[in-house]
Amino acid sequence: MRRQLASVRWAVRRGQLVVAAVVAGLCVQAAALAQKKKDEKDPYDSALSDRKKQALATLRKELPPRSEYFAFSPREIDVMLERELAKLGRQPAVTVDDATFIRRAHLDAVGKLPAPKAISEFIADSSPNKRAKLVDELLASKDYARNWARFWRDVILYNTTTDDKKFSAKNLEDWLADQFDKDRGWDTIASELIIAEGKDRADRRDNFLLAQDGTATLMASETARVFMGISIQCAECHDHPFDDWKREQFHQMAAFFSRGKYFMEDKQDPSKKIEMKPRFLLGERPPEKMSGDDKRLAVAAYLIYNPKNYWFARAYVNRVWNELLGDGFYKVDSLGPDGEVIYPAVVNRISVGFRAEGFRPKWLMRTIMNTQSYQRKIGTPAASSDRFAVVRPTRLRGSQVTDVLEQVLGNIKRDGRIVSQFNYDPSVPQEDLEGSIQQALMLMNNPPVQNQISKLAPELVKIKGTDELIKQAYLRVLAREPTTLEIARMRAYFARVGDRREATEDLIWTLVNSAEFTTKR
Amino acid sequence: MITHSILQLGVGRDGAVSRRRFLEVAGAGAAAGWLGAVGLHADDLKKRNAACILVWLGGGPSQFETWDPKPGKPNGGETKAIATAVAGIQIAQHWPKTAEMMKDIAIIRSVTSREGNHERATYQLHTGRAPSPALKYPNIGAVVAQEIGEPAAELPNFVSVGDTVGPGFLGVSSAPFVVDSPGNLPANVAIQVPAARMSRRLSLLKEQDADFANAGAKQIAAGHQGLYDQASRMALSPKLKGFDLKNESEKVRDSYGRGRLGQGLLLARRLIELGVPFVEVRQGGWDNHNDIFKAVPRNAGEVDPALSQLIRDLKSRGMLDRTLVVCMGEFGRTPKVNNRGGRDHWPKSFSVLLAGGGVRGGRVIGKTSDDGTDVADRPVSVPDLFQTFCRALDLNPATELVTPQGRPVKIVEEGKPVAELFA
Repeated sequence: MRRQLASVRWAVRRGQLVVAAVVAGLCVQAAALAQKKKDEKDPYDSALSDRKKQALATLRKELPPRSEYFAFSPREIDVMLERELAKLGRQPAVTVDDATFIRRAHLDAVGKLPAPKAISEFIADSSPNKRAKLVDELLASKDYARNWARFWRDVILYNTTTDDKKFSAKNLEDWLADQFDKDRGWDTIASELIIAEGKDRADRRDNFLLAQDGTATLMASETARVFMGISIQCAECHDHPFDDWKREQFHQMAAFFSRGKYFMEDKQDPSKKIEMKPRFLLGERPPEKMSGDDKRLAVAAYLIYNPKNYWFARAYVNRVWNELLGDGFYKVDSLGPDGEVIYPAVVNRISVGFRAEGFRPKWLMRTIMNTQSYQRKIGTPAASSDRFAVVRPTRLRGSQVTDVLEQVLGNIKRDGRIVSQFNYDPSVPQEDLEGSIQQALMLMNNPPVQNQISKLAPELVKIKGTDELIKQAYLRVLAREPTTLEIARMRAYFARVGDRREATEDLIWTLVNSAEFTTKR
Repeated sequence: MITHSILQLGVGRDGAVSRRRFLEVAGAGAAAGWLGAVGLHADDLKKRNAACILVWLGGGPSQFETWDPKPGKPNGGETKAIATAVAGIQIAQHWPKTAEMMKDIAIIRSVTSREGNHERATYQLHTGRAPSPALKYPNIGAVVAQEIGEPAAELPNFVSVGDTVGPGFLGVSSAPFVVDSPGNLPANVAIQVPAARMSRRLSLLKEQDADFANAGAKQIAAGHQGLYDQASRMALSPKLKGFDLKNESEKVRDSYGRGRLGQGLLLARRLIELGVPFVEVRQGGWDNHNDIFKAVPRNAGEVDPALSQLIRDLKSRGMLDRTLVVCMGEFGRTPKVNNRGGRDHWPKSFSVLLAGGGVRGGRVIGKTSDDGTDVADRPVSVPDLFQTFCRALDLNPATELVTPQGRPVKIVEEGKPVAELFA
């Protein structure tokens, strides 16, 4: 056993996820199976064809059985990270208090604020494992599935240039929500998106391929970007300047997504076309003469079930980590050479665990949210070496801003522009994001928002005692109690304004407009 | 509370002495003392106040049906040519009013590029560069906003009627302020409480954000305050009425045409008068793969009166010399008419119209071959075109913009301006 452990450590150090014996010809097997049974069923059937289901099941068998060698505790992540930070002489920040934790965990898991009552109950709860319990409860809710379905919908669709009549973002989101709700493995989710027919927006999983407008080059680069976290699209025109991807490699990858033969333009003479055979990024070659559908089945095999393809598990882990801690181990969708990964041993170790746990999304969420690393106080890391000593505050996404506004102020959803104005590309690092004047104007002046503020005020005005009124406003809007400084400042403001109702409206307005309100802290 | 502010009296782009910045007033709260240094920027008076209006015809307008008609030639199609105010220059029949203004208009018929994809070409004709995954280049409007606009201007330095290419690495301070429907105040700009109360709220907000910065969210809180500065300067500015076209007579509004483009160009003229240095106005519908000889007259029917009236109006107000008007799309269309009666994408040879900004009117630069498939004379690349814009706007194209990573990037790297336009 010690030897096995050592070999895992070795593999992790090498930046590879050697999890089980590599099954050579994995894909040949699946594809052969697929070709043997020609399927006569309606391809628009919302269920996958039996033939594809069977091929997927064959592939899934190649995943290693769950094993204690790969199990690890959230504490292990902390120990590894703390060791790395110590080497750099960094002191990790303190752990947040209960009120901060419950807001953070709610926003991350379900995209909403905790209710004031839930906050006080949580603070009063004296059980030692209450944070872990809260995480479990949140992950069991439908809101968790919806929140993360929206996130992945944006990851996939945010930058698409395809005419939006050709695909349905809503159908894709609904399908993903169903998957996250059932905690299906990310391997299954990814393979079903890739092997779908890509023909009918009503078949919900078809929409990943539909959003690529039937273009093989787009399908190839988006598959690599979304599921491997690497950007190969500049290799479409020339060898990748910063990385190892050659132009031929890109077009060999694209060849998997073409229904018939695939041709690459000659670089010198664009009128000359060169036929390219499908080869995956690590050189894997599928059997000759496969149908378009079967070539994508081969993609699923090489992308997901080849244990040498460590990018797949790690890209998902890095995405989720980036969301939860505000920074990734590398830029989520454009990793260049592996040297760009910070603390590679840590992210590789988590990825090994993720694979060993059947790529289950909730396992990953639960593991990370239970670390001390996740529960640290916020700060703004100046350099990448400062990462993970603090948690970076992050901006709420468009639908989260809408949900949170609605929680605090009541029904304002009629203005769909709130979602579109606050939404952002989830692949852009948080440190590069900037708001817009329109966002500020929306919360400053938008008539429905202002009306709701005026409606909420009388409810608070009824509260006896100005301090208590201020406290309730902070709890309701910012999900925390005010500091003594804030109470003093607001009390002085109330005294200056005189009119209690007017001052209360101003207080709510200020909190709703504050940077803190639209930020996960 | 006392705010130590520096009160600057600058001469604004509109020539008026700008009022005190609102937030400084707000910050002063109970109007305690000002520690003000007052200075008048003399060099501001000398500025030419260059500005630009980009009339964007999205989808790729056909050169044959606009500024480079080829009636009777193999690929000319059904479109006829008409004479203009300048002897020897003909344009397509759908543009009679623009033809009248030809003395103030220059046409480049030999623009050439290689991007035939809408998204990529739209990016290229807004930034002067091919898309790169490594760096997001700014819309030229954002460059103008940063280089020519006043940092503390009350109105945004870049306004776009319709969504457009973003500011890239220049960031939010020069991002386009997008107006959906020209004519009314932009959404959410009108404040819902009296100005004094709003200023009270804003100073309370400033303190709340400062607390959050201290609690660890320095970057987010600082960016947030920057946006509220800009938003409140705008919301409280008397110049906001520039957006409200009800301040124009019915006659003037009619002269531009009552469509979105016409009213958008009238708005553009008003904003330029108020000191906004760059306004983009977009019209779609030029991606005519089908029935192009029916589609173009319909589209041109809206653009022709609006564009010609804009040039006439700028001229009569003495603004044309300092205002460059550019009318273009992302590429041209195939010489061969396809079997659906349309033309497809053609970046190899297409036309761009220019007026004002020191561009001499009444001339045509370059030409295409008789069948329209090649540039026959004086090819003008996209960087050449952007060099030309810089020249007309008194911008030094070699000015280095700095990316957030500290990398210097010239406004335009390659190409040469089309000097004949200015001679």
